[in-house]
Amino acid sequence: MVRHYNLDGNQFLEAKTWVVILVLSILVAIILAGTITIFAYSQRMARLNRLQHEFINNFTHELKTPVTSLKLYLETFLKHNLSREEQIKYIGYMILDIERLAENISRILDLARIETKTYRGDFVLSDLVQTVQQFHQDNRHLFRSCDIRVHNPSGQPFLYPVNQPLFDMLLMNILNNAIKYNDSEKPSMDILFLLQKKKLHIRFEDNGIGIEKAERGKIFRKFYRAGQTENLSAKGSGLGLYLVRNVAKMHKGNVTAGNRQDERGAVFTLILPLHHQKA
Amino acid sequence: MEDSGRKRILIIEDDGHIAEGLKLNLSLQGYEADIAPDGVSGLRKWKTWQPHLLVLDIMLPGIDGFSILQSIRLEDERLPILILSARGSSEDRIQGLTYGVDDYLAKPFNLEEFLLRVERLLTRVSWAGVTGERGASGLHLLPKIYTFGGNRIDFSTSTAHVGSGKIALTEQEVKLLKLFISHRGRPLSRKQLLEIGWGYTGVVTTRTVDNFIVRLRRYFEKDPQKPVYFRSLRSVGYIFDHEE
Repeated sequence: MVRHYNLDGNQFLEAKTWVVILVLSILVAIILAGTITIFAYSQRMARLNRLQHEFINNFTHELKTPVTSLKLYLETFLKHNLSREEQIKYIGYMILDIERLAENISRILDLARIETKTYRGDFVLSDLVQTVQQFHQDNRHLFRSCDIRVHNPSGQPFLYPVNQPLFDMLLMNILNNAIKYNDSEKPSMDILFLLQKKKLHIRFEDNGIGIEKAERGKIFRKFYRAGQTENLSAKGSGLGLYLVRNVAKMHKGNVTAGNRQDERGAVFTLILPLHHQKA
Repeated sequence: MEDSGRKRILIIEDDGHIAEGLKLNLSLQGYEADIAPDGVSGLRKWKTWQPHLLVLDIMLPGIDGFSILQSIRLEDERLPILILSARGSSEDRIQGLTYGVDDYLAKPFNLEEFLLRVERLLTRVSWAGVTGERGASGLHLLPKIYTFGGNRIDFSTSTAHVGSGKIALTEQEVKLLKLFISHRGRPLSRKQLLEIGWGYTGVVTTRTVDNFIVRLRRYFEKDPQKPVYFRSLRSVGYIFDHEE
């Protein structure tokens, strides 16, 4: 063909080769990028699927255990005449089981509410210090074992638009974790209000077991639970901190996790931009 | 083994409420019941207290229920074991039955049903009338004599005929051999070997496993440096296999 049209074969072929190489390499690059994207995406999906499966397994366990206990004691009461003392003891167990069950149910409802964004209530400008103190006051009976102190060195109120039910959920989860992951004789929690660069930092410092460095980024993920996943014993839903982070985001803020410098314990910091109060 | 006449039932269950409720009912039924809240103490209590029946949960801290089950089955094939688990899918039931459980109840269960199953299991054992001589006859899944390569293991006398002659096997060696044989062609991790073979948990003594394998190789391999039966699997553990 080259001879037929009397073309300079070398030049012509060289140019064509270049174009072919260019087009091919672009194609290869696109295919490669596509493959990598698909691969990364499927990996992500697989991970999420696995976590979801684990979550269902765990949550089933969390729901079935109190139900099993309740059924067992009720059937025992039907079958035997127990002494009043024994009855009172086992009724106490049953009440605890019902509390466990109620807590699990509200956890799952919270998740549904947040994911579908159908939570109740508006964002009302409130003083955060007071909100936290009020929450502590209202739920004192739940945190009897834990010493909770609120500190506000600046003395000033921090007004911020707050959705009360959501914010309570955030506080409840952080406080529950502080008690759950705690082996101190007397669990304690210090809540500090600090102003840093026009941002309000609310630090929740506990005296628990702390958080391993490798876990810090992961604990806010949905369904993630700290510790070994292969371990069949780990309890919990893996939802608490996922809810916390989402509530923080809905309040245009963020939440971070770390360990205390001064002593043993974890610290969760809720960071809220204060300029919102003027808006 | 002194017998007070009452049947002993060991409950391995980590939920305090359920464990106590079971103990209460079994005691009211006339049994002697005791609770172990985790796998390690469960295995220890099984050894020392020698119960007639075991009620076992699957999701346990430390060693899980399936490992406990396998560990016990290596030594005692007849002890009636009833699994009581929140995991009630057929896969879980099949897994339990594969490892040699006698009965499987899913939580939440019916109390009367549970008590009747317990009674039935204990009655069946008393027919067999061999509760006293445990361990000695614990081998109906595995043949009494097992041969591979040029080796012959006689489990009834705990001896082995190997290339270098006849050797007496310790209880632990017999247990590990049974574990390997029952998992022939399938890898066993150090963790599995420790949990099932020794009833340990944690990473403290994985060296124990390695040292033990060295011993087994010395017995059964023609060249212990180049093992063909007890092979290492990098970052997994060990695998036992041989040709027919």
